[in-house]
Amino acid sequence: MATFSPSSSSSSSLLHQRTSIPPKQCYYSRKFSLQQSTKRVSAIHLHDGASTKKVSPVKADGPATILKDGILSMPSVTLPEEAIDEENSTVSITVVGASGDLAKKKIFPALFALYYEGYLPKHFTIFGYARSKMSDAELRTMVSKTLTCRIDQRENCGEKMDRFLERCFYHPGQYDSQQNFLELDKKLKEHEDGRVANRLFYLSIPPNIFIDAVKCASTSASAANGWTRVIVEKPFGRDSESSAALTRSLKQYLDEDQIFRIDHYLGKELVENLSVLRFSNLIFEPLWSRQYIRNVQFIFAEDFGTEGRGGYFDNYGIIRDIMQNHLLQILALFAMETPVSLDAEDIRNEKVKVLRSMRPLRVEDVVTGQYKSHTRGGVKYPAYTDDKTVPNDSLTPTFAAAALFIDNARWDGVPFLMKAGKALHDRRAEIRVQFRHVPGNLYNKNIGTDLDEATNELVIRVQPDEAIYLKINNKVPGLGMRLDRSNLNLLYAARYAKEIPDAYERLLLDAIEGERRLFIRSDELDAAWSLFTPVLKELEEKKVLPEYYPYGSRGPVGSHYLAARYKVRWGDVGSEQ
Amino acid sequence: MATQISPCCSSSTTFSSSSLNQEPPFASAKLFNFSTKSSTSRWAFKIHSRTDPKNHFNLKSTNGYPLNAVSLQDAEKPLAKELVLPEQTESNLSVTVVGASGDLAKKKIFPALFALFYEDCLPPNFIVFGYARTKMTDEELREMISRTLTCRIDKRENCGDKMEEFLQRCFYHSGQYDSEEHFAELDEKLKQKEEGKVSNRLFYLSIPPNIFVDVVRCASCKASSGNGWTRVIVEKPFGRDSESSGELTRSLKQYLAEEQIFRIDHYLGKELVENLSVLRFSNLVFEPLWSRNYIRNVQFIFSEDFGTEGRGGYFDNYGIIRDIMQNHLLQILALFAMETPVSLDAEDVRNEKVKVLRSMRKLRLEDVVIGQYKGQSKGGKTYLGYTEDPTVPNDSLTPTFAAAALFIDNARWDGVPFLMKAGKALNTRRAEIRVQFRHVPGNLYKRNFGMDMDKATNELVLRVQPDEAIYLKINNKVPGLGMRLDRSDLNLLYKTRYSKEISDAYERLLLDAIEGERRLFIRSDELDAAWSIFTPLLKELETKKITPELYPYGSRGPVGAHYLAAEYNVRWGDLAEDE
Repeated sequence: MATFSPSSSSSSSLLHQRTSIPPKQCYYSRKFSLQQSTKRVSAIHLHDGASTKKVSPVKADGPATILKDGILSMPSVTLPEEAIDEENSTVSITVVGASGDLAKKKIFPALFALYYEGYLPKHFTIFGYARSKMSDAELRTMVSKTLTCRIDQRENCGEKMDRFLERCFYHPGQYDSQQNFLELDKKLKEHEDGRVANRLFYLSIPPNIFIDAVKCASTSASAANGWTRVIVEKPFGRDSESSAALTRSLKQYLDEDQIFRIDHYLGKELVENLSVLRFSNLIFEPLWSRQYIRNVQFIFAEDFGTEGRGGYFDNYGIIRDIMQNHLLQILALFAMETPVSLDAEDIRNEKVKVLRSMRPLRVEDVVTGQYKSHTRGGVKYPAYTDDKTVPNDSLTPTFAAAALFIDNARWDGVPFLMKAGKALHDRRAEIRVQFRHVPGNLYNKNIGTDLDEATNELVIRVQPDEAIYLKINNKVPGLGMRLDRSNLNLLYAARYAKEIPDAYERLLLDAIEGERRLFIRSDELDAAWSLFTPVLKELEEKKVLPEYYPYGSRGPVGSHYLAARYKVRWGDVGSEQ
Repeated sequence: MATQISPCCSSSTTFSSSSLNQEPPFASAKLFNFSTKSSTSRWAFKIHSRTDPKNHFNLKSTNGYPLNAVSLQDAEKPLAKELVLPEQTESNLSVTVVGASGDLAKKKIFPALFALFYEDCLPPNFIVFGYARTKMTDEELREMISRTLTCRIDKRENCGDKMEEFLQRCFYHSGQYDSEEHFAELDEKLKQKEEGKVSNRLFYLSIPPNIFVDVVRCASCKASSGNGWTRVIVEKPFGRDSESSGELTRSLKQYLAEEQIFRIDHYLGKELVENLSVLRFSNLVFEPLWSRNYIRNVQFIFSEDFGTEGRGGYFDNYGIIRDIMQNHLLQILALFAMETPVSLDAEDVRNEKVKVLRSMRKLRLEDVVIGQYKGQSKGGKTYLGYTEDPTVPNDSLTPTFAAAALFIDNARWDGVPFLMKAGKALNTRRAEIRVQFRHVPGNLYKRNFGMDMDKATNELVLRVQPDEAIYLKINNKVPGLGMRLDRSDLNLLYKTRYSKEISDAYERLLLDAIEGERRLFIRSDELDAAWSIFTPLLKELETKKITPELYPYGSRGPVGAHYLAAEYNVRWGDLAEDE
């Protein structure tokens, strides 16, 4: 469980517990987390027949290998050994597609933040890999432009930045060239300097070259004596078949536990907190079922459109881009039964159970929309199809709302509503839990408001302004008896001065530490696709027209009718939120 | 019932039309008061469900303890049907403050009456009479009152005018408290002012307990309303044990019917105490948790940061248990723990409260810790000990602090300790209810973190004063890459949400008495039940001359309170480090 090792300065109490090791928490904790995951190796195989128990020869004697053999799961690991490992092992992170947008905006800054906060191991190297010709110095200039320092401790930031940049290197090469990856391997070896080599590849490249890059990296640049892991970004296919094909291809070269499918929403602070809220408070769990919850809403809204970059999006649409992955993952976390432990496999087992209990989505339970142009205050906002990278006759939804159901004992009959859209009037991501009305409410008839509508609501706002609040009814102070709905709230910005880390930081750190809890397992992905594939196919075959909504509006009204069918109101567009 | 819910403050314009009620003439029952609160059409449907009024009469006159009878009473509403609005203007309300020169009258009662007037909560025809032994003219009384009147901060424009108008309706009559003749004179004056309208009379007894009965006798015999209702508000102390309280009740009942007696407990008029029931019964999320299944213990905490300060004469005769616990805290406990009442009607609510009180175990000596503050020098300043107060005997054993563990032996609360703590001269001034929940069974996060999750349980806090607030302590993740848990608050601070000044408890209670709403007043059988829980203990403390544990002025109170809590595996929430 030591996976949850914080190393920020504020957690000194925890540090005290780890008496004999110097404060290089990451390694210690990493070991520990690995330890857990080994225990689960068998679980992985149960769920994922494709991965085999073979220990690939490349990982002969690194800690990870020991793990794989299940030896480390024994309590024989002693602390001194850890310290030695720290000294004798190295992690190299290769960002494949280093010149891309995601790499520049997210991956390098996240790596720097981890370094800055002391989370990276002592010996680490970062390699950029892409087709552009570039020198190490040029890469460093490019990277340095996007690095920023934590506001809360920025004293020696410049110095840290320089030291970080010194560890960044670049290797140009084709994504499908074994030769080029061999060269990379050689360079990596130089930097590893004979230490145990652990390698993490971050594939920040278009899906059509995933497999090529994985093949080359795995066969020509795998670690010889440590672990090799690959982080893959969405899209993971566009339906059940293509996703399964992709998984099969990946599995030719990688084991299940080498594949880290990233869903950056799962790395968000408040999504992490969702499980903490449920399982470490007494007061929520008793309410967490059909008996008390009337419906749950997962809402994602962006206040901008594709803005000239609709090429990729048009091929996928909002359902694949947001719902099938981000929102569905959060739903699964929300609705799962209590896992046996917080170990990755235990949690993912529970999530898969939820997904498999869900009804495949039907076309009548989906509303799609597409934004049209809108002029406001003299500014003309373009329609989706005005985007030059989007075909003029595109039917791709930029908005969708859906009602899903989990047919298990806990959730039977409770609508889980999802809503995701671009070019809406605000930017937000939140989970809203609407409770049932109070049975036999004593105050029902006396008060101006209809209490059957003024039900309790728990809102977990993921962005912007992270917050948790519970809407309750209370009495308006005064001599009369008027009820009012107010919030019991916890606004993160007010309570925690510390900057909340970016989701990528957490996920990168987890991948380095071998913590798989927040990554998507192959069987999870299969189950997720099987819910959405039929409806996606039907939408496309029948060429269902999306409902148009003006740029910057609240989205198509169809979503209200969908909600109304299940006697639900969207919480985010109520008169008071 | 519905009517007490009619607010009359300007903020709730929707209801204002319903507000002040026409108390109807009811000649046949001189002594009976009828709180025939008007009903707006909005409430009309409730009326039909009421019992036959005649029936209710019989029951009323018995005003006895039988609960089944009580639950049938309060059938005044049916009369409202026959009311017609014009009558409203024909009635006159007079509020007589007996003991008008006293401290409470000056500080609380007159200001509360003015606030009600200012907020248009008083009927169009009303007069206020001061009655006391001091010789004073009307002018002098007005002069005295005007010094303590203040206006609501949120609308003070025409405050001066309003004050003037209010003072014009204040009069004074001087007389002895046991003189029927003087009360007859008062009656004469009242009649004059009433000008033949239906007269409704409210007497507020702001006098020492030893003259309660005399005043009640005189007022009832000589100054009762001839054609409207007569009600009497009585302040604590209501006796000092079961016997004296029973005696007092019997004496009062010689002259008054149960429905005429309004025993005031001003804590029940506090905003957040009112809100307690709203929270429980109008939210889905709390009621499922409201039982021994989820609640580990409940704490009722009252502390003052000052001592008797030269005014310990009255207090020394009663002590903190009688002064705070047996009434204020126990009343809040009963409200907290009661089953869902059939309705919000006074009798339904009070029936449920009595049930709680009657299910409670009598308090045992070993479940109580008492303390008394001693002198303390801090920062060059010396704070006097309790017995150094000149009005207190030097060898007084009267507790100025007490902590107690109480139990309700019913299905909902069996085994849940209800802890009470009340004290003077402590380090803070506060009154709050703390609900500590059980630990999370099989907590997944238990072993991972620096803190002991079994101690970091959820807690719901209702802070009554100062700074009214509701907050719920929850565990959440500290933002950051690690997994550290933190206890933080989901909170609602009244001050930040409601800019309006929260009205004083006396305003609410006076208005309720005027409107005949009895929900927040203590019924005789409630009082009996409350005393019977505390009387054996109080007697034992006194006969055994138990010495209180001394604690320094301004401290957190005697440590004995912690041992008492520890005996039941509880920690006081107000002394936790994260408070």
